[in-house]
Amino acid sequence: MTSMGTTTFEVAVNLIKLVLVFLMMVQLVPILVWLERRGSAFIQNRFGPNRVGPLGLLQLLADAVKFLTKEDFAPEKGNRLLFYAAPVFALVPAAVAYMAIPMSVPLKFNEYTFLIQGYEINVGIVFILGISSLAAYTILMAGWGSGSKFSLMGALRASAQIISYELALGLSIVGIILLYGTFNLSEMIHAQQGIFSFNAFGHNISASWLPNWGIFYQPVGMILFFAATFAESNRLPFDLAEGEAELVAGFHTEYGGFKMLMFFIGEYGHMMIASGLMATFFFGGYSIWNLTPQEVYQWCFNLIGNEFWAGAMNSLLHFLSYLVKFGIFLWIFFHVRWTLPRFRYDQLMDLGWKTMLPWALANTMITALIIFVTSYYVL
Amino acid sequence: MPETNIITTIGPEHYLVLSALLFSIGMAGVLLRRNLIVLLMSIELMLNAVNISFITFSHYSGKVEGQIMVFFVMTIAAAEAAVGLALAVSIFKRFKEVNIRFFEHLKG
Amino acid sequence: MTADVFLFWFLAFMTIVSGLGVVLMANPIYSALSLAMTMISVAAIFVTLQAYFLAGVQIIVYAGAVMVLFVMVLMLFDLKHELQAFTRGRATGAIKIATVGILSGLVVGAVTIGLTIGGKNQAEVASATKAAGIVDTTRGLSEALFLKNVFGFEALGVLLLVIAVGTVALSRSKGGTHARD
Repeated sequence: MTSMGTTTFEVAVNLIKLVLVFLMMVQLVPILVWLERRGSAFIQNRFGPNRVGPLGLLQLLADAVKFLTKEDFAPEKGNRLLFYAAPVFALVPAAVAYMAIPMSVPLKFNEYTFLIQGYEINVGIVFILGISSLAAYTILMAGWGSGSKFSLMGALRASAQIISYELALGLSIVGIILLYGTFNLSEMIHAQQGIFSFNAFGHNISASWLPNWGIFYQPVGMILFFAATFAESNRLPFDLAEGEAELVAGFHTEYGGFKMLMFFIGEYGHMMIASGLMATFFFGGYSIWNLTPQEVYQWCFNLIGNEFWAGAMNSLLHFLSYLVKFGIFLWIFFHVRWTLPRFRYDQLMDLGWKTMLPWALANTMITALIIFVTSYYVL
Repeated sequence: MPETNIITTIGPEHYLVLSALLFSIGMAGVLLRRNLIVLLMSIELMLNAVNISFITFSHYSGKVEGQIMVFFVMTIAAAEAAVGLALAVSIFKRFKEVNIRFFEHLKG
Repeated sequence: MTADVFLFWFLAFMTIVSGLGVVLMANPIYSALSLAMTMISVAAIFVTLQAYFLAGVQIIVYAGAVMVLFVMVLMLFDLKHELQAFTRGRATGAIKIATVGILSGLVVGAVTIGLTIGGKNQAEVASATKAAGIVDTTRGLSEALFLKNVFGFEALGVLLLVIAVGTVALSRSKGGTHARD
């Protein structure tokens, strides 16, 4: 499943890498919070945080200090154990699932190969879906542990929403799994590199001006997947869990200070997983438009002439490509949150069960049929 | 067979003993508890124990048929949980409690 | 002590402790959370036995869906304390003793049978495992499921349909979602 290497050096590097990926995820959160606040201000014609430091960038630091120095309180009627455990469990699944997403081409150093991701898992998709489905426990624990009616109702709503949309989420990517025939994220990215080309009825069809990305094969799957991830991460327009008009703030009504911050990190973590998976499934992961890593490596090698440094530059370029895609999807998350109105609860359930689920099923069946017909008949 | 072998070499028997222990715990739960939902959970525990032994045999004999069986067991467990919870909800609506002694009042 | 051995003992310990938690905790919500922990440990045990796909399915189906339903129902009931968590009385005392007897019998039987298998066929089992090698188990699993056992698969589909209809019929109150019960 996953190997940490055989020599001490390899194991050490892999462990350091795990810590680095985790830190990267956690450290991205304040930056994203700043981006979201400035972005929302821009959308709504306000200023946003602009007092502390240049462009308000030090606002993040001030917020962190504020969160850390707040009083650590727990409601008397609640369940203390669950109340304190819930924020920790909000952080863990998001971090564990994010580490399985590949972020760049593997880096070769002497005889070692280091993957630019936390760890590789050969059933990566199933693993990520499973781990992120554990988020429902966090919400239920927080809601029940708070001992408040609003929290409990928010928690029941949110977990019902997560379970319902998990079906559509899982089914919407069956098409892409059928297409590439693998659960492994790295292999999936490998299949999307280079120019648009596929085999049908015994002929090869290609277009040199298009990349070989999943979105051109599975547009319906992409739309369904992206919509379902909004519901999974409890973001607008599906943020029924914390409907402020009727439920105060949903399952985290009673939370404050650092515990609230951990829920925040969990929510942003789910957004990062969703963006990373969107890039991986439908937009070629870390691969660069129309180019294979070999071509990029060749270009770097001609520029530098040293094998290791050319490989490092190759990895860096692909990492930047991944970051661009990742950032675009995160921005779409923000933009949607601040421009679209919310759904009503029954509309949300109708959309999940009566619209997205049938479309995802139809997409799966049609994909399977097309794959069968185009690969078994020769014209 | 030296005694230290049991600790340091893991064979199928280890997994089977683990499975047996888990099954017994689940059975004790079914016999000792009175809350309907905890009874259902104990049954899930027993099914999980069975799954462990299926996977063990599948792994050590190199055949996938055992894993197919686990697939079927999981499906049936999910179905059983759904029906059991529906029953629990209907009992709770009547008596405001989910103790199994209310089951006999559920006729008709 | 290699990593595999340590992993097995750790996971076995986690499984047994959280399994005991399910049975012994008086508060059903703790039981349910403890069972979720057991499910995750069992999934990890599947990983040590190289059943990766089933480990993922175990987490998605059991820990992610079935147990969430249990926890949701329990929280909906909001049982603060349970008056009679365990059985009492003479007849149930006998059952308890019988339980302990069956428990120990099962374990002893499993140990003895396991040891005889281990003693006799260790080499044979090892060679069988080696012959099977590290195959692509997900592909093998799907071939076995959809080519050899397709009838069982279809039968399960029918079962699930029946269960879905039955559950809806059972839990539906008169007047739909707006019933005043």
